[in-house]
Amino acid sequence: MVQFIIRRLIAMLLTLFAISFVAFAIIQLPPGDYLTSYIASLAATGDQVDPRVIENLRAQYGLGEPYLVQYWKWLAGILQGNFGSSFEWKRPVTELIWGRLGNSILVEGLAVIVMWFIALPIGIYAAVRKYSLGDYLATVAGFIGLAVPNFLFALILMYLAYTWFGTTLGGLFSPEFETARWSLPRIWDFFAHAWAPVLVLATGGTAELIRILRANLLDELKKPYVVTARAKGLPEWKVILKYPVRLALNPLISTIGWLLPALVSGSVIVSVVMNLPTAGPMLLRSLTTQDMYLAGAIILLLSVLTVIGTLISDILLALIDPRIRYGAK
Amino acid sequence: MRKDQFFGLTGAVAIAAILAAAGPALAAGQAPALEALVASGDLPPLEERLPANPLVVEGDSIGTYGGTWRMGMNGGGDNGLIVKTVAYEGLVRFDRDWQTVVPNLAESWEANADATEYTFKLRDGVKWSDGTPFTSADIAFAVEIYKDPDYPAGSWIDNKNNPVNIEVIDELTFKFKFDKPNGMLMDQMASVDGIHITSLQKAYCSQFHPTYNENAAAEAEAKGFSSWALYLQDRCAWGWETIRFANPDLPTLYGWVIETPLTANASRVTWTRNPYYWKVDAEGNQLPYIDNLDMRVSQGGVEELTLAALNGEIDFQERHIATNVNKPLFFDGQEAGDYHLGEVIPSASNTLVLQLNFNHDDPVKRELYQNKDFRVGISHAIDREEIVDVVFTGQGEPFQVAPRPQSPFYDEELAKQYTEFDPDLAIEHLEAAGLTEMNGDGIRLMSNGEPAKITIDVISALRPEWIDILEIMQLQLAAVGVEIELNNIDRTLFYEKRPGNDFDAQVWAGDGGLEVVQEPRYYFPANDESVWAYKWAQWFNGTRPEIAEEPAEWAKEQMELYTQIRSSSSPEERADLMKQILAITKEQFPVIGVSLMPNSYSIIRNNLRNAPESMFNAWLFPTPSPMDPVVWYFE
Repeated sequence: MVQFIIRRLIAMLLTLFAISFVAFAIIQLPPGDYLTSYIASLAATGDQVDPRVIENLRAQYGLGEPYLVQYWKWLAGILQGNFGSSFEWKRPVTELIWGRLGNSILVEGLAVIVMWFIALPIGIYAAVRKYSLGDYLATVAGFIGLAVPNFLFALILMYLAYTWFGTTLGGLFSPEFETARWSLPRIWDFFAHAWAPVLVLATGGTAELIRILRANLLDELKKPYVVTARAKGLPEWKVILKYPVRLALNPLISTIGWLLPALVSGSVIVSVVMNLPTAGPMLLRSLTTQDMYLAGAIILLLSVLTVIGTLISDILLALIDPRIRYGAK
Repeated sequence: MRKDQFFGLTGAVAIAAILAAAGPALAAGQAPALEALVASGDLPPLEERLPANPLVVEGDSIGTYGGTWRMGMNGGGDNGLIVKTVAYEGLVRFDRDWQTVVPNLAESWEANADATEYTFKLRDGVKWSDGTPFTSADIAFAVEIYKDPDYPAGSWIDNKNNPVNIEVIDELTFKFKFDKPNGMLMDQMASVDGIHITSLQKAYCSQFHPTYNENAAAEAEAKGFSSWALYLQDRCAWGWETIRFANPDLPTLYGWVIETPLTANASRVTWTRNPYYWKVDAEGNQLPYIDNLDMRVSQGGVEELTLAALNGEIDFQERHIATNVNKPLFFDGQEAGDYHLGEVIPSASNTLVLQLNFNHDDPVKRELYQNKDFRVGISHAIDREEIVDVVFTGQGEPFQVAPRPQSPFYDEELAKQYTEFDPDLAIEHLEAAGLTEMNGDGIRLMSNGEPAKITIDVISALRPEWIDILEIMQLQLAAVGVEIELNNIDRTLFYEKRPGNDFDAQVWAGDGGLEVVQEPRYYFPANDESVWAYKWAQWFNGTRPEIAEEPAEWAKEQMELYTQIRSSSSPEERADLMKQILAITKEQFPVIGVSLMPNSYSIIRNNLRNAPESMFNAWLFPTPSPMDPVVWYFE
């Protein structure tokens, strides 16, 4: 097991190195650089900058250098914990992103938990009571959740909250708690705000989970060991939960690593619409303004989370499913 | 404590009564919070904080102190809202009708006959928000820093064709000297551009420059900046640069000072009154009336802001939320949200300006696009009424790119020529332009046998209605045998294509409908935004000599006239010369317009007083600031 983890860790580092190279290439793909987008935004307000000034800035920012030189400087900085500076905010990237990533992980982590809490019982029920009214209802509800775009659901929720309750849904905190330290009232305030985005994000993924779980469980339920267990007189709930459900969870656990990036990218528009201070809107803005070190750092950190998530799911799988063994031939 | 306050108050009232007898411009009242600070000795008395001759700002009524003005920013980079709300404090300003230049930080000025020398006199005793005096030295410092190539700001101060040279005469008097006449200086300084010169305090900002502080480079490095120049930009950013509002230590001359700065993660930006603000109301009470500004920062979407406005959580706002689509929603929500709608007249003349590239690299296209018959033909093929009805729910009217009806330069013929929808007439003109043959798809052939297809660059992210308009135009033009293809691209690419000369046509809104003299981009090849004749504009202003091209005779004549405008110090003469330029524009018809930009609206809470029921909206005239929010108050 330890050997397996070490091997995985080495592979992880190599993957990350490759990701960093590709990420840096992608953020440089659009034409121009931060300064061209800066000039464009100034020009839109009728302002013009002397080309000499821009040349000067380009040199100060090191933007004129070849790709590999820029990449190497970036990578060397990261190895020392320096992700570079945001051009737009003239601040070290590390100062800007942690709070946002924290919010992202919090909101999207909650969304994952809620998603599982909704999907697991429904999935099990739908498999055990196949083709019952409940199964159909769950299926329809799940598919509606899947088919309605998240941002539209968010908009509808916001509109209903406005017309029915006269409140403006949005943000993660009330003004008085925005900059406060964590405390019980602040946690309460957070949940009072966060339930809406969490619900919106959770509905999108529930249907998929229900369907996967239902399909897996249906396969398992037909197997002889279930019949044997029943014949031996085990209580029905134990028959289902102890073995078939445990096995049906395998595919879900092996995709934990993908959940986070999927949620982050899927939540960009929801965050913009519902005004959530998460990493999504910052990534979006840094990409449009070509604030490349900021965008690069967010992409890289999301990749790190994905890779770590994959490692965790590998370890969990080994723990949960006794049939999976590593190292032995 | 309560007693002290009481005596402080009666004392102030007594002084006010005495001073009011002496003249309206003398110190009378101040906000209760400041009163308390004065009483406790934390703040000098009002007389010492106000200048000898404070600027008197009149409102419809005398207000009361207090309250918070709530508004919203769209995304973190929305420095525009701040500029338009608090930062418009130049040496001079425009009056509320955008007609004349009136004193602001300068109490008077004089120009010599050929407009090469301007003498300014500052108000005596104006203080920065940290309480130190604002003097000629600060202006001289700003000129010096703007001219420093390491300080990345471009403005009229360091305009390389005619930069400002400053001569300081005494603490309050200084001269701007120019090598060439600069007749438009006062108009420029009264616009939003005027805030450049008053944006840097010498005492604070000089500490980051090696000329004044030999350790500047080392200190910058210690703070994690690779050069002193970057550190200087971070601490003392120019005029309205975003990060300027991220530094609460930077002294300013604004009515409100930053409390919660604009940083990448700020969910709101808040401001509190500047105790040293140098304006008073008609009774001599120190302004502003409103205690605080609260700008909520959205994550780049305006949905939450729209709902907040409907819910009565916004006190005054036009920016971002006042879209055409939202208008019925806001109209219906007036009673529930306890607000009403004010009128906002845009400065832009046109909803969409089609700019065909006169300097196209392909000689066939260049010749065709420069052919007036071709443009007239296209113009007649557009059914503008249909576009106004479909896209703008009937708001607006067919219009060319011309001064708006509210402008003194309005010329009905210029505004209305070639706007009638007449496909037969259109075909006649297109045939006169040499497009007589057609291919099998019904598309006319150019002189080289290629179909007449125009690829139009557009940024739909900026104005979604552009795509709607162009899609209708696509069908209308196809009916007369001209194909257009929409090329929806990113803003950066849009700008990159200009110097590369890699476009058939681009569209933009009709800037310059009210600010006709200052923004003549569509009337003649004036600046980089004159996309229809980009290379000719370079010939005129000399910023990119490597791609400049000699303009046609008529354009040269216009440029000559504009040069005369720049060198004239008489407003009447400038207006007369501008009319001559517009006469040539009318004759040449360089760009094609669609419809008059419809009026917008503002959300005004019902308890907000002195706020404008009608105002212009422009960038050069950065509303609502010229409407003096410092005299607005809550009832």
